[in-house]
Amino acid sequence: MKADSEELGLKDRLSLIENMIAEGRRGTESWGWTFVLWGVAYYIAIAWSTWGFGWSIWGHTALAWPVTMISASVLTVVLATRKRGRQPSTTIGRAISALWITMGISMFILLFSLALSGKYDQQLFVAVIAAMLGTTNAASSMILKWSVQFACAVVWWLAAVASCFGTVTQSSIVFLVAIFICQIVFGSYAMFCEARRNKQGASHA
Amino acid sequence: MPELPELNPVIHGKLRLALLSLLIGVEEAEFTWLRTKTGSTDGNLGAQLLKLEEAGYVTVEKKFVHRKPQTLYRMTEAGRQALTEYVQALKQLLGGAIGG
Repeated sequence: MKADSEELGLKDRLSLIENMIAEGRRGTESWGWTFVLWGVAYYIAIAWSTWGFGWSIWGHTALAWPVTMISASVLTVVLATRKRGRQPSTTIGRAISALWITMGISMFILLFSLALSGKYDQQLFVAVIAAMLGTTNAASSMILKWSVQFACAVVWWLAAVASCFGTVTQSSIVFLVAIFICQIVFGSYAMFCEARRNKQGASHA
Repeated sequence: MPELPELNPVIHGKLRLALLSLLIGVEEAEFTWLRTKTGSTDGNLGAQLLKLEEAGYVTVEKKFVHRKPQTLYRMTEAGRQALTEYVQALKQLLGGAIGG
């Protein structure tokens, strides 16, 4: 009897270790909102750069992308800092953050330079953004082992190719569709998954 | 008859075992997060973390973030090694009972 209870205790210890390791590694970061936020930011930048809004600063369409991207970056940092709160940092979380931050910096430097040097080209612009987003989504999906995100990477790569071969109008439509699928829809899906995961985590705690 | 391994008494405490298992999955964790995950009281948690710190299994860092005190715990290499050895010893003691 004593031996049985000792054995049970030891088994319980093993499952305690397994459960706690799983709990610690449970994705504590939530990223879905950033996809939605950036999707909306892209739409604002596109609308602003295409139509302007005829008054005040909004009339300066050249400012559309830099101003929107800088605003979205600042908003992301502020919200991420608040949301992160007291969650532990993980190596995976740091790797994903580093990936997106470096991609953002690269994209900003390149596109800003293209615009300043007067080499701005609508199709090239879309192709570069789409290819960079495809690369980052693919790398992120491989780290997280998340096939849905890899599907988004494929959509971005296809958008990059389509932008090179299509007309300016087709390139714009492809970009708008890719943003909707890979930012708004995927971001909302990620938020749903995170909410469900947190709910499960709370009920197990 | 093969000699059975002894279980490390520092790790054998249930809460200390849970704490090390939590910390092995993250780079660093705050006191409040550990308290939430283990459902422990402040006093008990602090005492067990102190034992782990004295054993050299965790390091503690206290700082202020937005004027609020923050206590961060990080597992050391010695702690990682000790937990690994503890798990191996557990498995050896359990023998064929694992997965049964």
